[in-house]
Amino acid sequence: MKGEDSTDIALFVKVSAGNVVRWDRRRIAESLMREAGVGAEQAEQIAGRVESIIRESGIEFITGPLIREIVNAELIKLRLEEERKRYTRLGMPVYDVEQLITKQNKENANVPHGPEATNLSLAESIKKQYALLRVFSPEVALAHERGDIHLHDLGFIDRPYCSGNSIEYVKKFGLSLPNALSISKPARHAEVLVLHLIKFSAALQGVFAGAIGWDAVNLFMAPYLTGRSEREIEQVAQMLVFEFAQQAVARGGQSIFSDLNLYWEVPKHFADVEAIGPEGRYTGNTYEDYLEEAQRFARALIRVYMQGDGMGRPFFFPKPQLHITERLFSTEGYREFLYEIARLSSEKGNSYYVFDRGETAKISECCRLAFKLDENDLQDAKTPWKMRYSAMQNVTINLPRIAYEANGSDERLLELLSERMRLAAEAHVAKRRFIVKLLNLGKNGPLGLLCMDKDGEPYYRLHRATFLMGMLGLNELVQYHLGEEMHESSYALRFGLKVIAHMSRECERLGEDYGMRFVLEQTPAESTAYRMAKLDLEHYREHATQVVKGSIERGEVYYTNSTYLNVSAPISPIERVKKEGMFHPMIHAGSLTHIWLGEAKPEPEAIAKFVVRTFRHTTNDQIAFSPEFSSCLDCGRVDRGLW
Amino acid sequence: MTLQRSEVSGVTIKGMVETSFVDWDGNIVATLFLPGCNFRCGFCFNAKLVLEHDTLDDVPISYVHSYLRSNSDFLDGVCITGGEPTLHSLEELCSLVKSTGLKVKLDTNGSSPRVLEELIDSRLVDFVAMDVKAPLREREYSKAAGVPVDLKAISESIELIAGEVEHEFRTTVVRGVHDRQSIREIAGTLERAGARRYVLQKFIPELAMSEELRRVKSMSDAEMDELVEVAAGYLPAKWRGR
Repeated sequence: MKGEDSTDIALFVKVSAGNVVRWDRRRIAESLMREAGVGAEQAEQIAGRVESIIRESGIEFITGPLIREIVNAELIKLRLEEERKRYTRLGMPVYDVEQLITKQNKENANVPHGPEATNLSLAESIKKQYALLRVFSPEVALAHERGDIHLHDLGFIDRPYCSGNSIEYVKKFGLSLPNALSISKPARHAEVLVLHLIKFSAALQGVFAGAIGWDAVNLFMAPYLTGRSEREIEQVAQMLVFEFAQQAVARGGQSIFSDLNLYWEVPKHFADVEAIGPEGRYTGNTYEDYLEEAQRFARALIRVYMQGDGMGRPFFFPKPQLHITERLFSTEGYREFLYEIARLSSEKGNSYYVFDRGETAKISECCRLAFKLDENDLQDAKTPWKMRYSAMQNVTINLPRIAYEANGSDERLLELLSERMRLAAEAHVAKRRFIVKLLNLGKNGPLGLLCMDKDGEPYYRLHRATFLMGMLGLNELVQYHLGEEMHESSYALRFGLKVIAHMSRECERLGEDYGMRFVLEQTPAESTAYRMAKLDLEHYREHATQVVKGSIERGEVYYTNSTYLNVSAPISPIERVKKEGMFHPMIHAGSLTHIWLGEAKPEPEAIAKFVVRTFRHTTNDQIAFSPEFSSCLDCGRVDRGLW
Repeated sequence: MTLQRSEVSGVTIKGMVETSFVDWDGNIVATLFLPGCNFRCGFCFNAKLVLEHDTLDDVPISYVHSYLRSNSDFLDGVCITGGEPTLHSLEELCSLVKSTGLKVKLDTNGSSPRVLEELIDSRLVDFVAMDVKAPLREREYSKAAGVPVDLKAISESIELIAGEVEHEFRTTVVRGVHDRQSIREIAGTLERAGARRYVLQKFIPELAMSEELRRVKSMSDAEMDELVEVAAGYLPAKWRGR
């Protein structure tokens, strides 16, 4: 039935359900009541006004979205701001969609351009808008939009950030995912285990925004490799690396941001643990007994990385991360293995070195993120399939802006820093509330995979989740506040350390206040470094022009990442690894120093020495060596150096 | 605690690479660049240090000393290079390095065997890398070095280094200047002197002192492999470069 006043409008409406219907004013009123909670009488009035506007326009065809825009304009006139927010439509301008479909996404180097990738970007755009409108408070959303803080992966608002996983889970329970059309029992052969692992990773990629890390890969694969020949083991290694590396061809078009954590030694916390082997059964041995197979597999993996892909190019994913514990140095053959992996650093630059000094143990999840395992986690090591960790969200603080606002006052600077961190904590509370809501929808909800409970608790162990506080541009904060960059004087460096110590204390204090685990992380986000520098040039131009790096004229500006020293300053690798390493003990979710090799291809002995000395003589948590490569986009040829 | 040195006699330092992975195979070193050279090799990639060193700032010895002392936990040694370092009086500089517990590697063109002998005898250097520019024939060598060269001095240096100290001999291989035959001859000379290591270095045209040589294409990896094979017939050999 049509509304009385509508009978004389010969108007057709294209509705979002994909149909053309006759004009019916009551639909507006009904939707205003249902979606925005507007009272019946007011809803009728608004609908009436909208109808007049449309009638006066003389239009014959109108779309649902356009009607909604007109209704929103009316809501604004009536100052019904909250109602407008609930009623508004999320989406993108036609122009933007066209750009997105036709042009390469420059923001994420890991996403190839294609229909699947643009699907992902379109979805991300809408989810991001939704997150800022509905998940976070207006205060938090505004702080993000202004660039006081940066909420990472807003387009993935309905997933946790990253995860560290255990192959033991896949070995023990097979590939048995909720809603799967077919289920695999625990693997009998190494090759099948690899396939399970890759598919499980792909499934996890669907419910996490970022990195999918796998712990002690060579050790946990080892029970499947007994009695296999060198050639066969290398084949398994090849399958693992290539399959991971080539997942970008799957739906979504994004590589799995994956890490393979390797050990030459059997780390102390796994040595006495009962090993799980084919068919998910205990083999009757402990992991200590599989040292030889674990080492053979580690070496095979390094050989595969050395060869590179079909064109000899380095693999970007999965990243091999060698953990170094004190035990390494008493494990036979360590020197030769270190040389092998150091040669890989020199030739291809893949390897990351993670330093687990003293009694600490860590799981690395992405290039910078490594979780230190605490007492509880080490208890988990006895049942390693339970070793599943996650950081739910990452929020980065724009540090230079704090210095601009503090206007030279130390006290004000730390005060502002605390305020921003509280805001970041509020953002984490909101994200947790939202994710918990989704998890509560259970196995049939959007995060069903994270709800499967094969070992008496959900896959996603909420109580173990951490919340990351990232920092950007410490160097520029110090530079603006003191007039010197951190590498320019020990006073400036000490001031930088003081700021991070303050952040670390604030994490603890906020953790107690909110009952959540907040930890500092070095933000691994080049696009954030650009975004914040650009926003500051807009809103704090006089201040920011004094310290931003890059070229203001060309619009290519950035802040120095996290707690790094100026990347282009002439600081020797030794000093960089020592000085940057001074920050690392306060950054519990992992930190990294890049050693720039340029065109030079050092002998592996020199790299290995550097690694061992970094372990022995610094507090640096993790290093990687970066050679320069140029890859020809036409023929795929790779050359050393930048061309 | 030793006092920090603010000067050493006989030397000015015109450049320093604080951490180098490539100047002494397998070692982490700091590299010091000394000015001036008595050769004018067209393929030299440190022309400024040879021809215009007066325009370069000095690196203060106090800085070098303090850097070496505070980073001796990472460094294996110091590479003294140039230019031609043996044109300077190196005793004090080498002693200074030794006082920080680090080893000394010296790069030389071999034109000053007496200087080398003294440094080696007094154990002030641990490793010597000597450039052999061409087969030891007057015309060829002088052409490669860009100046008349006293071949007797070169031979003496080869004998001395090969016999007395850890070492490597090296030749920067330039298309049109070197070929299989010249490498064969140099390797033969080195073998007869008892040398134990020979390194062929890829020429980097864009950095060459001679404008003419800047237009010469450097050897390919495969060509370098071939030349190493020739040299390896005489003594352990490898090539380096990008």
